[in-house]
Amino acid sequence: MKKQTNIIHKILPDPLKSSIDLGLVRRNYGHFRLILFVTMLIITAVPVTTIAILGYSNYKSLLQKDERIQLKWQLDGSVRAIEQMVDSLKSVVQFAARRDRYKELTTNSNLKELFDRLHRQYPFFADLGVIDKYGIQQAYYGPYGLQGTDYSGESWLKAVFNQGLHISRVYKGYRNVPHFAIAVGNYDPRTRQTWVLRATIDAKTLQQFVDTIKTNASDDLFLIDDEGVLQTQSDYYGQALDRSNIETKVGIWLDISPEEEAILHGTGNIRTTPWSLVIMKKGYVTQNAWKSFRSKLLLIFFTCTGVSVLIIYSLVTLLTSLIRKADEIQISMMQEAEHKDKLASIGRLAAGVAHEINNPLAIINQKTGLIDDLLQIAVDFDEKETLQLNLKSIDANVERCKIITHRLLGFARRTDILHEKLGINDIIREVLQFLENTMLYNRITLDLQLHDNLPPISSDRIQLQQIFLNIVNNAMDAIGKDGTVSIITSMIAGEIRVVIQDDGAGIAQDLLPHIFEPFFTTKETGKGTGLGLSITYGLIKKMGGDITVRSNVGKGTAFTITLPINNEHT
Amino acid sequence: MKKNTNENIKVLIADDEVEFSSTLQTRLNLRSFQATAVYSGKETLRVIEEEHPDVLLLDLKMPDLDGLEVLARLKEEHPDIQVIILTGHGSFEVGKEGMELGAFDYIMKPVDLNVLINKIKEAYAAK
Repeated sequence: MKKQTNIIHKILPDPLKSSIDLGLVRRNYGHFRLILFVTMLIITAVPVTTIAILGYSNYKSLLQKDERIQLKWQLDGSVRAIEQMVDSLKSVVQFAARRDRYKELTTNSNLKELFDRLHRQYPFFADLGVIDKYGIQQAYYGPYGLQGTDYSGESWLKAVFNQGLHISRVYKGYRNVPHFAIAVGNYDPRTRQTWVLRATIDAKTLQQFVDTIKTNASDDLFLIDDEGVLQTQSDYYGQALDRSNIETKVGIWLDISPEEEAILHGTGNIRTTPWSLVIMKKGYVTQNAWKSFRSKLLLIFFTCTGVSVLIIYSLVTLLTSLIRKADEIQISMMQEAEHKDKLASIGRLAAGVAHEINNPLAIINQKTGLIDDLLQIAVDFDEKETLQLNLKSIDANVERCKIITHRLLGFARRTDILHEKLGINDIIREVLQFLENTMLYNRITLDLQLHDNLPPISSDRIQLQQIFLNIVNNAMDAIGKDGTVSIITSMIAGEIRVVIQDDGAGIAQDLLPHIFEPFFTTKETGKGTGLGLSITYGLIKKMGGDITVRSNVGKGTAFTITLPINNEHT
Repeated sequence: MKKNTNENIKVLIADDEVEFSSTLQTRLNLRSFQATAVYSGKETLRVIEEEHPDVLLLDLKMPDLDGLEVLARLKEEHPDIQVIILTGHGSFEVGKEGMELGAFDYIMKPVDLNVLINKIKEAYAAK
């Protein structure tokens, strides 16, 4: 725990540190909440995001791989199909150009008959020509009248002489119609001449064939020559014979279509021809499987994140308020304890000082008293009266000190309120024990009307005694000699009520509002400190109770004390 | 009922504050009481045996014997002697304890002599 805290302390910026201080301080709960929120969010978001990203990229690469394989199959199949077509055309021409037929084909109408036979079976043959070793077209049959054309400078002718076969690019040539040629070279052993049979084939044939192998599985499929000229029509790049900038390297790669879409691009060479087959397929991103996966993934991700944020937010709010509450309780308890402790210390100190001062005060008091006594006995002399006045002044000041020390003792007694279950009637009886002798001496009758079934109250015995002692003492002082003190206890509205009344002198109406004020007294100087009722009032209020007074001069005074059964104020 | 005059009342003052008790003794004697002063707990018990006072003014804190202890022993043997507790170290609780042990009353120092004399007379009258 300690170590963890240290690490957190190193990471956190200084202003945020106080909010996670474990000590008893008022934290910045905003910062605390922020830290908790961010931390919990990171803890939750990191795994969710990681899993989402992993799933996303894995599925993506899986789909891509799958697509590549599919395209590869399609490309290979298409390349084979076109090769087969080219092979079969080549075979037909090779068959027609048997070695020794040069003579035969260049004479009479034999070439026409060959063409007619071929054309019946393969209507896409456009024309046939026989070319001698000098490159001169010796015989021609076809719609364009190319008899005698000199091909000796053409590169394809050299290729035929060298390799025995040439398949041309699609071109318009003399005929101005897209076509391609298959030329087969032969060496006639009889004439000892090399000759060439050249068949021209309408490029539409190629287009039709490409169209048949093009399926929905691909978005574009076309032939292109080694210089980038389209041999068949392309959906993306235009018509046959348009020049394009398409790369002609063999293989499969990711590309961008002219429409700016991601596409898979595959190219395969067609054997013995200058052509390459290009197949294009729109990328995975546009495919439904991928789209639905991605939208589901996003939905799950954002739902998870949203729910987490909500839960974390409410949890953090709850936690923060709980901690705040706990802190507040702890701090207020600490403060209360400190306050009580302080009061108790002051109380002990005050009591100690008061005790120490009371004894010397008593000595001074007795000494001045003795001097006064002696002065009264002594014969009169000049300054006797002055001396007596000064003695009175000393006495008055001793009295002031006494008031202070007694007040301090009273304060010391007020610091703690104990709680015990007490019978109010018992307390009153205990208090009366102190006063019985004085009452007897002053011929004061006691009229007790104590209600029997009063519930016990939770309070402090000593303080209750002090309260009743004070009030009853006042009642006795008000009577002086010969009178009655009545004490009536009862239960009123769930509270204990004690009425203490006397038939003494009573208090004047204009003085009544002041009787609970400190240092207010009607007793003659030296008899009352003026603190009794104010201390009593304070004690009763502290217990959650109340004290009221009714008085009529010459009739008497009644104090009504109301005390709660369970004191909730302390 | 004994006659309530000062001459008949024997008062014993027990307080270790010599200045206090001797002065009080003089002043009470000036008012015709038969007052004696003692300055420790043990001395108090001894003098009681000799003098049999009517009223004992008793301090609660004395060096050898605690005032309450003196009170307890005294009340066992001489329940008729009235005791007024007179102390600067008082509090309500101690006073109450004294009352339970049989003290007549409880006064805190410093005390006005007239108040004290009235109390002594009350105690004597209640004897």
